[in-house]
Parts: sequence; structure tokens; C-alpha cells
Amino acid sequence: MGKSETKETKKSINSGFTSSLFLTLALYIFWIVLSGKMEAKYLIIGFLSAVIITLLTRPLLLVSIGSSKGILRSVYDLPWLRLMAYFPWLMWQIVLANLQVAAVIINPKMPIQPQLITFRKKLPGPVAYLTLANSITLTPGTITVDLEGDKYLVHALIGDAAAQSLAPEVGEGEMPYRVSWVFSGWEKEH
Amino acid sequence: MADFIAAVLMSAGLFFLLVGAIGLVRLPDFYTRLHAASLGDTLGLTLFLVGLMVHEGVTLTSFKMLIIELFMLLASPTATHVLIRAAYQVGLKPWTREEG
Repeated sequence: MGKSETKETKKSINSGFTSSLFLTLALYIFWIVLSGKMEAKYLIIGFLSAVIITLLTRPLLLVSIGSSKGILRSVYDLPWLRLMAYFPWLMWQIVLANLQVAAVIINPKMPIQPQLITFRKKLPGPVAYLTLANSITLTPGTITVDLEGDKYLVHALIGDAAAQSLAPEVGEGEMPYRVSWVFSGWEKEH
Repeated sequence: MADFIAAVLMSAGLFFLLVGAIGLVRLPDFYTRLHAASLGDTLGLTLFLVGLMVHEGVTLTSFKMLIIELFMLLASPTATHVLIRAAYQVGLKPWTREEG
């Protein structure tokens, strides 16, 4: 028991270092893009700022993961590849939902059926819940009102269509399914 | 050619911003109006920024626009969620279509 715990702590520190490196790099690239100056003076100032910001914000960016309390993990420690695979699908859903909502708004009869939908979805860790909640809100026509534990409360503009795609009577909705795919295996790897 | 594509993309973006504004006026209550606002936030702004990026070409400026777009995609749903949650907790009743 004690042995595995030390291993876990070591690993979480390790992943913390990788994500600190990632944050420093991201901040440095951000600096270069915003400043647009390539002289050594500005590059050095930018690099030092990136390192200092990373060190200062390190304690703020550690979250404990859902089921295994006590183990800290950086918020940047995410399944990036799977998130990148999920993103194009999400953008396409946003385009479809935009067209749907625009059609409803322009329609003189305005056939809206606002409705509150609740559904449950178990996900590994707070970042996974956040991803699903923000994906729902980002898609026009559905907004996450509240999230308690694993229970989502969603306000939908076109009730039936949203209920069909988020929480159908049989099986589970496509968006919750895909988000759980993105984060599946993510917890076990560490 | 690039300018033409940029113009088409920006017009499409403007269309969604306009529809979002119309929806803001036409829809019946606070909750449904937030849905209309998210039209402009997502596809409206995205199409407009992509149009500007096409017009600009591969430069530092278009990379900055990409960063703006990514920040919008993170910040806009969070703000919308905070607004709707506050309204719900205060007890504002959502408008529903009367049956029959």
C-alpha cells in the first residue's frame, strides 16, 4: 500500500514537471506572437517572464482528481490528442446547431419549445465534467444551467431535438458518449 | 480570389450575427434570448475571424486572430453558464409554450 502510494506521488510530480514545461513553452510562444519582436532583449525578457509566471501559478493549477482524492494533478495534464480528435466533431455540431437555431428564429411562426432536460453522466474528473458542460453550452440551442455531482440540468430551445441528441430514451446521447471516450483511460494511465 | 473568399466568409458571419440580434428581440424570455446570443458568439464570430484570416494570409496578425477565436470558444460558454445559473437560482421561471 505504502509502496504504491509513493509511486503515485512520484508520478504526479513527474507529470507536474511536464505540464510546467508545457505551460512555459505555451506562454513563451504567446509572448512572441503578441510582441512580434525578434531581438535578443525581448526574447530574453519574454522567456524569464514565462518561467516566473509558471513558478508563481504552479500551486493554483493543481486539482485533485475525482475518484482518487488526495492525488494532485496539473490542469494542463489532459488527453490532448483525443481532445484534438473531438474538436472537429464539436465544430461541425456547432455549425449544424447554428443553422437549426437560425432557421427557427427566422421562421415567422417561431416554432420553439423551450424545455429543461436533466440527465446523468458519470465522467472521470472535474475537467471531463467541465468539457461536457462547456460543449453543451457552446452548441447553440442548449445551455448547461446546473451541474450537481453527475446530474446535468440543460435548458434547450428546441426541446425534442435536444433531448434526442443529449439524453435519448434508449442508450445515451452522442455528445456525452464522445466526451467520455475522450477521457476514458485517462485516469488509469497515471 | 482570397479577397472574394474572405468577403463570402465575413458576409456569412454577419448573417449569423444579424440573426442572433433578431432572435434577441423576437424570443420571449431571458433563457431563450441567451440561445440567440450564442449564435453570434460561435459561428458568427468564427466565420468573421476566419474571413479576416483569409484576407490577411499567413502572418502574425492572423495567428493573433486564431488566439482570439480560441479564447472566445472558452470564455463565451462560461459566461453564458454563469448568467443562466444565476437566473435559475434566483428563481426566474422559464417560458414554455402553453399546451393546446
